[in-house]
Amino acid sequence: MKRAVLDVAAIGGAIALSIVLVAIGLRVAGYDATGVLREWAVSAGGTQADWAQVFNNACPLIFTGLAAGVAFRCGVFNIGAEGQFLLGSAALAAFATRVWPLQGAESPAYVAMALGILCAGIAGAMWAGVAGVLERWRGVPVVLSTILLNFIALLLLGILLEGPLRTGEHKDLVQSDTLTMAYWLPVGGLGTMHAGIFVAVALAVASWLVQARTAFGFELLTTGLNPVAARLAGVPVASRQLAVMLISGALAGIGGGIQLMGVEGHVLTPTSQAYGYMGIAVALLGRLHPAGIVLAAVFFGLLDRGATGVELTYQLPPEIANIVKAACVLMVLVASAYIGRRQLAVRQR
Amino acid sequence: MSANDSTVLSAAEFMLRQALLGATPLVLAGYGELVAQRAGVINVGIEGLMLMGCIAAYAGAVATQSAAMGVAAAIAVGVLFALLFAIVTIWCRADQIVTGTAINLLALGASTTAWGVLRNSSNNTPPPLFEPIVFGQYWLFFFTLALGVAIWVWLRFTRAGLIVQALGDAPDAANAAGVRVRLWRTLIVLGAGACAGLAGSYLSTMRGHSFQINMTAGAGFLVLALVIFGRWTLPGLVLATLLFGALEGLQAYLSALPNATAHVPHQLFEMLPYAATLIALAALTRSRSGPIYLGRSWPEER
Repeated sequence: MKRAVLDVAAIGGAIALSIVLVAIGLRVAGYDATGVLREWAVSAGGTQADWAQVFNNACPLIFTGLAAGVAFRCGVFNIGAEGQFLLGSAALAAFATRVWPLQGAESPAYVAMALGILCAGIAGAMWAGVAGVLERWRGVPVVLSTILLNFIALLLLGILLEGPLRTGEHKDLVQSDTLTMAYWLPVGGLGTMHAGIFVAVALAVASWLVQARTAFGFELLTTGLNPVAARLAGVPVASRQLAVMLISGALAGIGGGIQLMGVEGHVLTPTSQAYGYMGIAVALLGRLHPAGIVLAAVFFGLLDRGATGVELTYQLPPEIANIVKAACVLMVLVASAYIGRRQLAVRQR
Repeated sequence: MSANDSTVLSAAEFMLRQALLGATPLVLAGYGELVAQRAGVINVGIEGLMLMGCIAAYAGAVATQSAAMGVAAAIAVGVLFALLFAIVTIWCRADQIVTGTAINLLALGASTTAWGVLRNSSNNTPPPLFEPIVFGQYWLFFFTLALGVAIWVWLRFTRAGLIVQALGDAPDAANAAGVRVRLWRTLIVLGAGACAGLAGSYLSTMRGHSFQINMTAGAGFLVLALVIFGRWTLPGLVLATLLFGALEGLQAYLSALPNATAHVPHQLFEMLPYAATLIALAALTRSRSGPIYLGRSWPEER
């Protein structure tokens, strides 16, 4: 309990300090810092429509954040959520436009959606599985293989979009067919919020239950905390690490599929949305805890939404939000390193 | 010499030039990463350091109307970000890989924001930038060659080289021998930051003549793979990078052929270097797995 209080205090302090630092930076660069911050806050959550956008922003980040979170907690540095996310969306597009298009459907077909999400999850898990298998049997560090697999996934997506998935409707566009009505997630609540956020939160709850309430989850945590001790205690460490890699990839892949059904509608030539990479930051800011990850994703969603307003009024690029995010993450890392050691010292005394 | 021979020759020359052009920044940034990893510090943030080098070099050149000042700015910013990484990982002992990814995010945000501010500012005269000297190569290529020899000698024949080895394989022993482990590691990381910043300046003021958002596009990540692919040795790094560069040159040549992309997707060619690196990593034996204390903070927490 005390640990949780310390964590929350550290994260709150980190966020406040990051905002102050960015304000100082803006002032130095000659901008009206208080004006920018006010604009940022107002356009982040001023209206209902803003909040709908915030939750839509947060949705993919919850998936990729959970993907990074479960893996990191087990000591597996899967930084390939980017590739797994992209291939998840490609798999859903393949299923929904090529396998079972459901032409002429007027309303969401939930069975088809569930199957599509299953495809997306399997695609993500398989792509992560490549890295998991290479680590398990060839000793290739996951950090490296997932980086390389991200590049390959991006190019693979390009091949799919120019080949089998390419739409026939517009000759000049390199993109997939647009999903039929059957595959669009219901939109409602706050105007334009799609239902994906509920799936995301449900998966966050599920991963918390698995981590905190099952023997399997306990084995994963033990593996992350001390693999040697875990092995001595009888945990099959290598196969748990492979399993967590598959779960992580599936989460990212599902995120890709949901994003397609909720927001995008068709797969475009890959752009640098970088949901996968951002998920790592979300996971770290959320201290790898599912609840923390959901909150961190919403916070990032707020930052991004506010930054669009700042862009309109002050002509600052919206990527300025990334500076705040990174500053928060770095400070939380420092704070948690100290908290961790302090707690250890208290316990040993 | 028949016409056919000269086409073959020019094709080979084209590929070699491309390979060297592509390899220069990777090798240069690789030096720093290699020495840092030998000393036990893995810096995944090298991608971000290079990206900051790109923007700093271009912005510096615009502000001072001097390409040399741009390069100096790139080195300074590279060192500054490396200092941030060193403080968080070496002195606060946060996890290295995790901190590195945060540095990457910071660099992406900072470089894009700086680029936006730069484009909005009134001072938009294009700066003087570098041109190739010999064989289509820029001066940094020759600097990289010389620096490589110097670092190889330094690692191999000096006491400092031995200390670097000890920092990564037996930091406690180094400490017992009177080496200030954290200070040494910090200085090495700062040197690596300078290399990465310089490598970044190559992309925006030499091989390319402007800045683009996220223009490193994973080059830093590739450096990480190449250092490990080269088994943490300098000749290994250079060979690995040249092999990668050759594949890239081949890819550039093949996709420039008139009929090449009609049948085969160009992405397959682009995939070649990454897939080859991955396969090579998988094919390597597991015997030597790098510095023993790679990625672990010192002193250890327990």
